[in-house]
Order: sequence, then C-alpha cells, then structure tokens
Amino acid sequence: MRLQVGFLLIAMVVSVFAVRLFQLQGLDARTYAERARAVGAVQELLPATRGSILDRNGTPLAESLDGSMIVADPTKTADDAAAIATILTERLGVSYIDTVENLRWPDTRFRYIARRVPTTKAVEVVEELSDLGYKGLDIRRDPVRSYPAKDVGANIVGYVNGLGDAAGGAEQLFNPLLSGEDGSATYDVGGGNRIPLGDNSTTEPVDGEDLTLTLDRDLQWYTQRVLRQTVEDAGGKSGVAVVLDSRTGELLALADHPTYDPNTTVQRKIGRLASKAFRDVYEPGSVEKVLTAAALIDAGIVEPDTKLRVPGTLKSSDKEISDHWEHGLERLTLTGVIAKSSNIGTVMAARKMPGRVLHRYLKAFGLGSRTGIPGYGESAGLLPPWQDWLEINRDNIAFGQGLAVNAVQMAAAVNTVANGGVYVQPSVVLGKATTHSGEVTGSSVAEQRRVISEDAARQTAEMMEMVLDPEEGTAPDAAIEGYRVAGKTGTAQMVDPACGCYSGGKFTVSFAGFAPADDPRFTVYVVVHEPTDGQGGGTTGGKAFRKIMAYLLQKYAVPPSGSESPELPVEWGRQPSSEE
Amino acid sequence: MSAWMGHARSRMPRLAEQAVERARLTVVPRRSRAPRVPFVVLVFLVLLGGVVGLLMFNTHMQQMSFTATELQARADRLHATQQSLQMELDELRDPQRVATRAQALGMVPMVSPAFLRLSDGKQLGEAKTATPMDAQRLEPIPTQEPPGFKPRRTGGVVDETPDMNDDGVPSDDLPSERDTTG
Repeated sequence: MRLQVGFLLIAMVVSVFAVRLFQLQGLDARTYAERARAVGAVQELLPATRGSILDRNGTPLAESLDGSMIVADPTKTADDAAAIATILTERLGVSYIDTVENLRWPDTRFRYIARRVPTTKAVEVVEELSDLGYKGLDIRRDPVRSYPAKDVGANIVGYVNGLGDAAGGAEQLFNPLLSGEDGSATYDVGGGNRIPLGDNSTTEPVDGEDLTLTLDRDLQWYTQRVLRQTVEDAGGKSGVAVVLDSRTGELLALADHPTYDPNTTVQRKIGRLASKAFRDVYEPGSVEKVLTAAALIDAGIVEPDTKLRVPGTLKSSDKEISDHWEHGLERLTLTGVIAKSSNIGTVMAARKMPGRVLHRYLKAFGLGSRTGIPGYGESAGLLPPWQDWLEINRDNIAFGQGLAVNAVQMAAAVNTVANGGVYVQPSVVLGKATTHSGEVTGSSVAEQRRVISEDAARQTAEMMEMVLDPEEGTAPDAAIEGYRVAGKTGTAQMVDPACGCYSGGKFTVSFAGFAPADDPRFTVYVVVHEPTDGQGGGTTGGKAFRKIMAYLLQKYAVPPSGSESPELPVEWGRQPSSEE
Repeated sequence: MSAWMGHARSRMPRLAEQAVERARLTVVPRRSRAPRVPFVVLVFLVLLGGVVGLLMFNTHMQQMSFTATELQARADRLHATQQSLQMELDELRDPQRVATRAQALGMVPMVSPAFLRLSDGKQLGEAKTATPMDAQRLEPIPTQEPPGFKPRRTGGVVDETPDMNDDGVPSDDLPSERDTTG
C-alpha cells in the first residue's frame, strides 16, 4: 500500500516535469532560443568591397572607401550650436551657416552634419567636442563610392546612387563584375570578445573585380576643360570631344559638355547624365567629305589632283547647292575642294560614283550602324538606303547633310583614314570585360575591317593636310608647329524640327583630324552644337583640336617625323604670275 | 556385452580416484600485494594535470580571444587611417587641383610640343614660348542655373530677388550636402 502511494506520487511529479518539458522544448523553444542568441550571439554582414574603375594607367576614376558621417541630435546640440559649428567649420570645412541651421533643426533627433569624412578625422573631431562637454554628436559608418576626379569621365563611369545601387554608365553596365558577393559571420560574444569554441561560422565575402577603362584620366580632364571653354566661348549649347588611339580604336578621352559630378546628388537630377557623344545624332556636315573623297579615290574615280571646274551654284533636283563663300567659276583640284570645303566640288566628284557604291563605302565606314559599345544607349544614326536617294539626297549626303551620326561613330569613320584604311571598332574597356547581359566587350575584342586601300588612305590624309594650310585651308588654327597634321572642318546647318527644313539659324560646328599625318597616332574630333558666335568649325573646333592634340603628342612623347608635307596643289590652270 | 560392461566397471574407480585427487581444494598461496600509494598518487596527478591543463588551455584561449579583439580593433583603426590617407591622396592628386595650383604659380599649358633627341642633340618639333594668353580656363564661367532647380537657402532671401541666382553660385559647385540633408 505504501509502495503504491509512493509510485503514484512519483508518477505525478514526472508528469509535471514532462508537461513543463513539452512546454519549453515544444511550444516556447523558439522564443528561448532567440533570447539566448540575443544575449551573446552576433550576426554580422561582411560587405564585399566594390571593385574600382580605373583609367588606363591604373588611376582610380571610381573607388569604394570606408568613410564616416557625423550626425547630430538637435535636441541636444541646439543650445551649443554656434560653438559646435565653429569647431566643425574649422576642422572639416563645412559651411558654418548650414551647420548651425542643422544643429538647431526643430522637431527632430537626427540631422546629417557632414558626410564622406575620413574616419580618423571624424573620430578626432567628435572626441574633441565631447571632451569640451558638447553632447549630441555621433559617428556612423558611411561607405562611400568616391569619384576622386569628380566630373572627369563621369559620362563614361556613371555613378552609384545613395542607396548603393549602380545607376548609370560603366558602374551599371559592369555591375555584376564590380559588386562581388557579400559574406556573413555568426559568432558568440561575451564581454565584447569572441567566445572561443562558441558557435562560429563565417562566409568570407568575395570582393568585386576592378575594371580598367581605356580613358587616360589626365587627358580626359584636359579634354573636358578644353571642351568646356570651347563651348562656353562659342556660346554653344553642348559639345563633344572624342580622342581615339588611331591604331587600336581605344577611346583615350570622351568628353561631354555639359556633364556632371557623380559625387553630388543634385546634378544627377538635371538631365546631364546621358553621354551625348553616343546618344545624340546630328548631321556631320563637311567632315563627311573626307569619307566621300576617300571612297572616290579608293574606287579609282578621282585623284587628289583631279581638276574640277567649280561653278558658283549647282542645280540638284529642284534645289540649288552653293558654297560657304561666294565665288564664280573656280578651278580647284580635289585637294582644293577638300581644303576649301567646297560643297559643289564634292558633289561634282561624287556624281561620278553610283549612289549604291557610295552607300556601300559609307556603310563600311560605320555610318548608319552602332559602333557596338554597349551600355550608353547608343543611337545608330541615319544613313538612308540608296534606293531612296533622289539626286538631291545623294548630293547632300556627299557633303554631310541628309544623314545623321553620333560623335563616336563619326570619329571612328575618320579614324579609318588615319589607320591606313582599316576601320577599328572603338572601345571603352581596356582588354575585355563581361557586361551584365553577358556581352563581352573591350579593346581586345574590337573588330577590324579594311574599308579603303592603304594608298587611298594616305592620299586622303595628304589632301586633309591642306585643310590646315595657312593660305588655302579652312582651319589654319588647328595647325601645330613642326608637325604634319591632317584634318577637316565641318559646319552643318541643323534641321529645324518644326519645319523639317534647314531654317538657317542653328549650326553644328566640328573639326576632325589626326596627327602625325604621315604616321597617325591619335584622332581627335571636336563638335560644338548651336554656337552663337558665328564662327565655323575651323576656328571653334580647330583651336580645341590643336590644344588637345598638342597635349597628346607631348604626353605620349610622339616627336614629329621630320618629313615634309607634299603640299598638294589646290588650284590648277592659274599661273602664279596671273595672280593679283 | 556383459564382458564389456564388466571391463568398464573395473576401470571407473581408478578414473574417479584421479579426479578426486585433482579436485581437492587447496589454499591459494597469498600473492604479495602491489603498493597502493604510488597508484593513487599517479591517478591524482593525472587528474590534477588534466584539470590544470584544461584550465590553462581555457585561460590561454580566452587570452588569445582578447588579443584577437585587440588586434581586430587595431586593424580597424589602421584600415580607417589607410582609408583617410587614400581620401587625402585622392584629393591631392585631383587633376583639377594640380592644375589650379600650377596656374597659381603662373604656369600655362605648352603651345607646341618639341623634343630633344639625346643621341645627336637634335631638336624635333618647334618649341614656342607659351604666353599667359594660352592659359586654360579651369572653372566654368558662371551659368544660369538649370530650370526647375532652386537651391534651398535660409530666410527666403533668394526668393525675393531671384536675379541673384544668375550671377550667383555656378551650378557645378553646389555641394551635395544640400540634397542629403532632407
């Protein structure tokens, strides 16, 4: 009897235990586990470092830095605002007025005071302030994507927005390559130290890879400054400058004006982001005559000294073509037509070639199709099919109206002449890299194709040298003393979208050229849209070309070959003695 | 059959006799006992060694953990310093800054490149003297602020005299902080 009672008691106690056990392990297990974890366990995100975007010499155009931000709690700082702001202004160079305003901001407990501050500096300042008895300032981690050269190359590099997402340019295009993969770590902590033998697991982050562009940061900077000054002085609306390595098609610089500083957020909002060099199309004007002439020479139809009788006007369909200067009958060679940029002379020569063949040549020069640099919303431009050409269309296209190009496309076309007749696809990435859509792009995979013979290219270049002739040419301003330079000016009327006609008010002026003319290394193309100073491509574009080219020749140590320019004749049938 | 039985019976007693002889109990001689003290001491020492070792190992590990934390903190500090220096270096290397300093020293970009060939001392290209006229403008000329953009200022002074914007701050120089303070 006693034994049974004992068993009963034990059974009851065990039952209570069992119920409690079930409650702890079965029902509340999660809460307890979490509570236990909260006491000691630490879960940490190990952010992968985003790869840098470098220029061709390894100088960073974009890099990830671990900075700090200083934040304030205005409820604590309001009383000492003036004193705190004085110190902050002195140490960090922030605006005094803004800082006082932020430190006194009503109805909030959080204001940004300074961002992108080097951590050591931030710690120093905040410690100094707290030593002085000022409260309410704190430091937070502020991982920044820094663009150390500010607006330099921003049109190509793109930017990462405030949320840390790539939002344009190479940053976006090569995001998977650059971003890497975040890692994580979980471990137990006791008294601020890791508990050995505690729960411990780490997934190491995989840092992003660096991306090397073909740009040269110093050159890009200089090109942008020259372009800005050029556009501003010409009273222009916008402009583009393209610098190509003639042999490899690498874009050493690609300047857009206006552009933006990716470090600031304000400027991103005002529509300057897209690279106009790729996106905007325009009529190239007389620069295109280079392509027409090169095609004609390659086909064996004309030669640089082909004699042309150029009248003052020329009838085409029901319209009249005229030149940019008034003249009667002129006896010009093809060289003279190019040097003086005669529309009529170009048309007369081009009429010797069937439209179909001219179209084929222009297509081969890359007009009407994208250069194939992905990621910048490139426009293909417009080259109407030859079947649709009326006489006036064919004539207009021969001297650069009635077709549309983007600046990079046009630079690559002219570069074909510089590169001995071989078209090289332009590239922005040095070597190669894979875009977010899996496309491989870069200088090492750039396509090449022969468009005109080496001989035709040389003859065209020699004709282009006369464009810079101080007496005969349209662009003496582009000449560089001691060097043989080839180039071509362009002054194109812009189509008024309202009437679809050339209403006359707006122009695109440009200059494309390369040097040294006998062994070209660089091709530079400068375009200014809607200048208001009444100057043509030779003056506006030529001066900018000269500055950029001189910088290039010096920086890349390209001495002049020492050979003399052949000084091709521009006129014929006129005796030196008959001149007034 | 009976003859075989008889024979067996005659052998049995002898076998039994031997078995009995063998099964007789005798006192096992006392073995000499091993001394107990050293064994106890040994066990005790092993135990003590184990405990002390474990304790020391544990302490050591804790110590290592402290060191690790300290080193981590130092690494973080050094990383911060490195990043700070990198930022500083970036600022110093900014081509715009270098150019501004150079211009302040009275330098201008060269006008025409020329080279001196060391082998025969020949000058390649024409060296022309640069003049202050060749200076490159480094800052944008003040422009009108883009439409739809108004920097926030205190006190609404700007709103009363909107013309001040036009010759005011060039849009390229607006600080980013303005945008992020909201």
